[in-house]
Amino acid sequence: MSPLAERLVLELRERPRHFAELVEAHTDVAWRDFLRAWGELRASDLLKRDDEGRYLITPGGRSVTAV
Amino acid sequence: MKPGFRDVLRQLEDAGELRRIKKPVDPRHLSALAAQAREATFFESITGYPDWRVAGALVSTRKRLALAMGCSEKDIAPRFEEGIRRPIDARLVSDGPCQEVVWEGDAADLTSIPLPLMHVKDGGPYISATLVVSKDPEYGRNVGSYRLMYRTPRETGIDLVSSSDMRLYYQRALDRKRPLEIAVVIGVHPYEMLAASYTAPIAADELAIAGGLHGAPVDLVRCRTVDLEVPADAELVLEGELLPIGWTADEGPFGEFSHITGDVKWNPIFRVTCITHRRDPIFYMLQMPWENDWLAAPVIEAAGLQALRIASVEPVAIRAPIGGCCYWTLIASIKKRPGEGKNALLAMLSVAEVKLAIVTDDDINIYDPDELDWAMTFRVQADHDVLIIPGARGKHIDPSVKAWSLGKGGLPTTAKLGIDATIPEGVPKEQYERIRYFAKDAVRLEDYL
Repeated sequence: MSPLAERLVLELRERPRHFAELVEAHTDVAWRDFLRAWGELRASDLLKRDDEGRYLITPGGRSVTAV
Repeated sequence: MKPGFRDVLRQLEDAGELRRIKKPVDPRHLSALAAQAREATFFESITGYPDWRVAGALVSTRKRLALAMGCSEKDIAPRFEEGIRRPIDARLVSDGPCQEVVWEGDAADLTSIPLPLMHVKDGGPYISATLVVSKDPEYGRNVGSYRLMYRTPRETGIDLVSSSDMRLYYQRALDRKRPLEIAVVIGVHPYEMLAASYTAPIAADELAIAGGLHGAPVDLVRCRTVDLEVPADAELVLEGELLPIGWTADEGPFGEFSHITGDVKWNPIFRVTCITHRRDPIFYMLQMPWENDWLAAPVIEAAGLQALRIASVEPVAIRAPIGGCCYWTLIASIKKRPGEGKNALLAMLSVAEVKLAIVTDDDINIYDPDELDWAMTFRVQADHDVLIIPGARGKHIDPSVKAWSLGKGGLPTTAKLGIDATIPEGVPKEQYERIRYFAKDAVRLEDYL
């Protein structure tokens, strides 16, 4: 994973976040680089969603499911 | 040759309805800037995407839609009806500007396109202005409009929750454990968008309807990696397939055309096999909710006119108001014979997901909300003139249908309401004689100022 994708993983392990919150935390990153990192996360099969539509990563969690 | 996307940009600019923005804009800010402009927006410089320009909010008012359709604001439904009545088959041509640049396989990278982040709770950047072409071995070609959410450089989510022909095609492919090939077309004339929004009979070709609207055939080119044809003059085409995984991947939320933030939905995944575009492409960002709403208006209004005529009711005017998102509410005035107020309501409520229909006599100007309120106040007895039809087809994005309780792929139902605001049978017309001012035509205020 790229360093940016790893940072996103850490942020989502910390607490659930909307996609836009992640974007806001990395406005210094070029949009294309951000999208590539997000693509890495998506491909990694780590993401889950909560009822509010936020993304999160739970310990040991795999596959995209609602929690 | 029919006009294209760029001709609409020129038309809007000539009418003073397009604002050019020359300073560089980050794709994360495109939608927020378009929302602040009174005109359609044309972004000439996109940070990080030197080859691209972005146009948005082209038809986000009734005025701009009428401009693009070349008619008056009141005539958008009859103009649309005219096109439906006289379809012109699309024709295949050998090449087109939409394939001036071709990216196949791993080179087909969605991050090379300036995908906008539109709303604060969206599940990702969205492609909102699509014409999605698919084919079924039995039913033939279908063209619809479906939003796509960026997932990876080669994958998007696609909202295929609502009932549609392509949902049926996908289900049929899924039953055979096969993917469904699709081509996503971006940056076409609003006529193609309108035809895609039209709920045509399954055998009808939406591109022939677009041809009818133009009065000239839509030229098509063959896709590079899927067995489909797409409008040759498009700005951008994404070729690929819907994976045979059913409604299992998270998609959304998205700022819906109901003006409400939607829920996370469960949908299929679109995998891109090829991206083609013009040499100097313009990405079309359909600005939610207004642009989506106004693109629905002529379709719903024309469907209402058709339904009324099939019911042998004579319509005078019809309107899908913006308060009902140009989709859920239909208001019509008619030349009424006894009983036809109710017949009209039954006809109007049969249109798509219209859940509120109001019918008036032809002496009411339905474009004037005060006149409409007056008719509903003095021509309606709620125990006689209100129809409620429970259990009809509903739409997920209406929170009142509680779609979240249906589970993956579930389809909601809704109750429909009709209000007959025509003069009740048995009440003489004279009872509604409007007050008139004595000597109104004999004196003029300006003579006394």
